[in-house]
Amino acid sequence: MNTIDIKINERSLKVLPGITILQACRDNGIDILTMCHLKGLSDVGACRLCLVEIEGINKLLSACTTRVASNMVIRTDTEKIKRYQRITTELFFAERNHVCSVCVANGNCELQELGYKVGMDHIRYPFLFPECKVDTSHQYFVMDHNRCIMCTRCVRACSEVEGAFNWDVKNRGFQVRVISDFDTPWGESITCTSCGKCLQACPTGALWSKDVVQGQLEKHPEMITELVEKRKLLLT
Amino acid sequence: MTKKKIGTVWLGGCSGCHMSLLDIDERILDVARLADIVKCPIVDGKEFPKVDIALVEGSVTSDEHLHEILHIRKQAKLLVALGDCAVMTNVTGMRNYLQLNEVFDTAYVNAISNDQSGTVPNHPALLRLHDKVFPLQEVVNVDYVIPGCPPSADAIFYVLFEFLNDRVPDLNEVKKLKYG
Repeated sequence: MNTIDIKINERSLKVLPGITILQACRDNGIDILTMCHLKGLSDVGACRLCLVEIEGINKLLSACTTRVASNMVIRTDTEKIKRYQRITTELFFAERNHVCSVCVANGNCELQELGYKVGMDHIRYPFLFPECKVDTSHQYFVMDHNRCIMCTRCVRACSEVEGAFNWDVKNRGFQVRVISDFDTPWGESITCTSCGKCLQACPTGALWSKDVVQGQLEKHPEMITELVEKRKLLLT
Repeated sequence: MTKKKIGTVWLGGCSGCHMSLLDIDERILDVARLADIVKCPIVDGKEFPKVDIALVEGSVTSDEHLHEILHIRKQAKLLVALGDCAVMTNVTGMRNYLQLNEVFDTAYVNAISNDQSGTVPNHPALLRLHDKVFPLQEVVNVDYVIPGCPPSADAIFYVLFEFLNDRVPDLNEVKKLKYG
């Protein structure tokens, strides 16, 4: 099999051409922080946590959307990258209303875990306190925009795995929101199949089932990956 | 060695962080060997004395809190923000995207428990709520933060004990960071 030579953190590696830097790291046990990446879904580079330094390129590139090239020299662990990861995490917290203590996902949240991983003890930016709606119109599920970090994992799970195309994104910048159908209440959706895949894909307490209470939410995003892998087996 | 002085206070908080402080249990004796706790919310209303370490729970929600925290900043060598409200406003900040009169009406007029005849209290002795709630860091310089709602007793004791022994604690290094 054809392989190409790359270097990650001074380690010489032989990897398959065409894979992403993120995949090369994961295959070789190199830890890299991600939030919008979910194995099985396409990558969009939304969260900017997997930024890496590549020799010869004067800006940081996201590992999940950059493919390896021959003789690429990559660094994933520099002080600059760590500083950016901390900034990104703090901005996630400052942008919307992430009140862990009253959140269903408390103790079982990828954003909380991320904060611990980057060593965030406080947030250096002023909080925006945007007015965010909570959509409880669906029979079984709730969408709480206060907790959404716009990773769009739900949007991709809905379109790529379920094929329902219920979720989409409106606006730009800090007014960006996930919407159901044409920005109508989730309960009135004619495309939603109530499959619950978006709930499992969501890393925070933005999407949850009505039968859970504060701090009781359990998520299994790996079920999306499993489903995609199993479908591939069916096709072969 | 002269004993250090510790003072604690709660501003816009629920006293949960102080409960967590009490949860350090018998380790309070280790603290007492090294320091005197000269001020806390259950002693009489004298103004905040000069201290080495001030533990401040809660966020700045009113004129009284603002006055208090500015005073404490002058009195304390080390100002420690204790708990999520002090660090990032947490639950107290959930009213920040509403107007203050909406908040008052929700609590005193439209609350299910008060038969629509409630009035907003406005006695001059009461504190005046600010339009927005701020974490301590937006009002004064904060020297150290202990996040958590509440922070664990372990985390509080660890930070106190390190400071009392003239070391700088690192909550991240000892894996005691916690929000919520």
